[in-house]
Amino acid sequence: MGYRDVAKVGLGGPVGSGKTALVKRLVPELVAEGYEVGVIANDIMTQEDADVFRESFADLLPADLVEGVETGACPHTGIREDPSMNLAAIDEFTERHPELDVVLVESGGDNLAATFNPELADYFLFIISVAEGEDIPRKRGPGVTQADLLVVNKTDLAPHVDADLEVIEADAGEVRGEDPFVFTNCKDGTGVDEVLAHVEREVLFA
Amino acid sequence: MSTDADAFLSALRLSDSFLPVGSYTASYGLEQYINEDRIEDGEDLRALIAAYLRRLVGPCETVAVANAHAASADGDLEGLLAVDERLHAVTMPAEFRESSTKAGAKLCELLLAETDGDEHSSTLAEAIEDGSTPGHYPVVFGVVAQHRGLSRLEACLAHAYSFVTGLLGAAQRLGRFGHTEIQAALEDLQSVIESVCERHLEDDIAAMTSFAPLAEIMGMRHERAGRRLFMS
Ligand SMILES: Nc1nc2c(ncn2[C@@H]2O[C@H](COP(=O)(O)OP(=O)(O)OP(=O)(O)O)[C@@H](O)[C@H]2O)c(=O)[nH]1
Ligand SMILES: [Mg+2]
Repeated sequence: MGYRDVAKVGLGGPVGSGKTALVKRLVPELVAEGYEVGVIANDIMTQEDADVFRESFADLLPADLVEGVETGACPHTGIREDPSMNLAAIDEFTERHPELDVVLVESGGDNLAATFNPELADYFLFIISVAEGEDIPRKRGPGVTQADLLVVNKTDLAPHVDADLEVIEADAGEVRGEDPFVFTNCKDGTGVDEVLAHVEREVLFA
Repeated sequence: MSTDADAFLSALRLSDSFLPVGSYTASYGLEQYINEDRIEDGEDLRALIAAYLRRLVGPCETVAVANAHAASADGDLEGLLAVDERLHAVTMPAEFRESSTKAGAKLCELLLAETDGDEHSSTLAEAIEDGSTPGHYPVVFGVVAQHRGLSRLEACLAHAYSFVTGLLGAAQRLGRFGHTEIQAALEDLQSVIESVCERHLEDDIAAMTSFAPLAEIMGMRHERAGRRLFMS
């Protein structure tokens, strides 16, 4: 057993876009459907995200299926050029839990160019937030264009930051071509089902 | 005189992406290949970089490194300037010239102007600084390598190797390639690096020329690309 034997889903995106919030929404759903789930957080400076997960998932996941991996101030290196330490953490998960179905890997908050190494993530979600500006999709960052699924989060904040969801939708459609994108509000859970449906269809049933 | 250990460490230093000369900003047209969906997988990437080696790095840059190394060993300033001029003339896309001269200026600042300081290299450094010669990276590289005791072949190998890892790194940031796939490409390309360097090691500067029309067209189209993460 090793990292090649388990499905891996990467979640990338800029700082504060809602990656942790989305993982917190997805894990209970996956567990409810009977999947055995592991979670890795690559925080830039601290184990803060890993601690948040340990606390939120205390009743859902064994403590040894939640891990923080430091990336030496280079979050994109950890998920792209050299994912060794993340893969090592996944190897430890699979050794201890041979029945593991899926691992969610949250990248440290990064820039629009951050993409996942295909050997670390079978499926890669890029999470942006409407509050970062409605022009993010049309900047065509590799994260936005290459992700398997683009998630546009914090739709509830659109009216407060003068972001027009129709503009974002049109731009996302244009830069993504045939590839899917989903609007979410992780605060109340809107759209999370749709994200889950994509992940299940593309990763877990694949 | 350098000891062998010194030369070996210098070779590592000169071919390491840790060397702060901005090479991570150059893709030599690779970004355009990827933007135009011309590279599908690791095999395409390997084949493309092998072609860069055979048709551009070998017949142009390796010849420049080798001749700069030889001119430096002879203390031949005119020879160095002639290599630089010729390389400038045969490097078609403006962005390739720009990436190369910017990195050349940085390497000059870092290792040639300050620390190496014999007569022909200080004069070369001044000529680069005041803009009277373009100061291409392979030329400065050849001189610095010669000063630090690398043989001509070692200088060419170190230069070609760093070109390859630079392009593989760019590909990894632009497309979706796994790290083991990238390492497998590097492993395969090692023998191409060797044969290309050996083949062009003794070429005269008059033979310096490139034949890589598609790479050059990609480099030129990149100047007007809508999305640009790289300087070339
Ligand atoms: N209003 C609103 N707030 C949200 C939403 N999703 C996340 N947030 C809040 O946004 C802040 C950042 O969310 P996180 O999930 O920590 O973001 P992150 O992407 O994990 O951040 P880093 O890991 O630090 O890069 C938190 O205060 C969340 O509660 C949303 O859909 N709507
Ligand atoms: Mg987070």
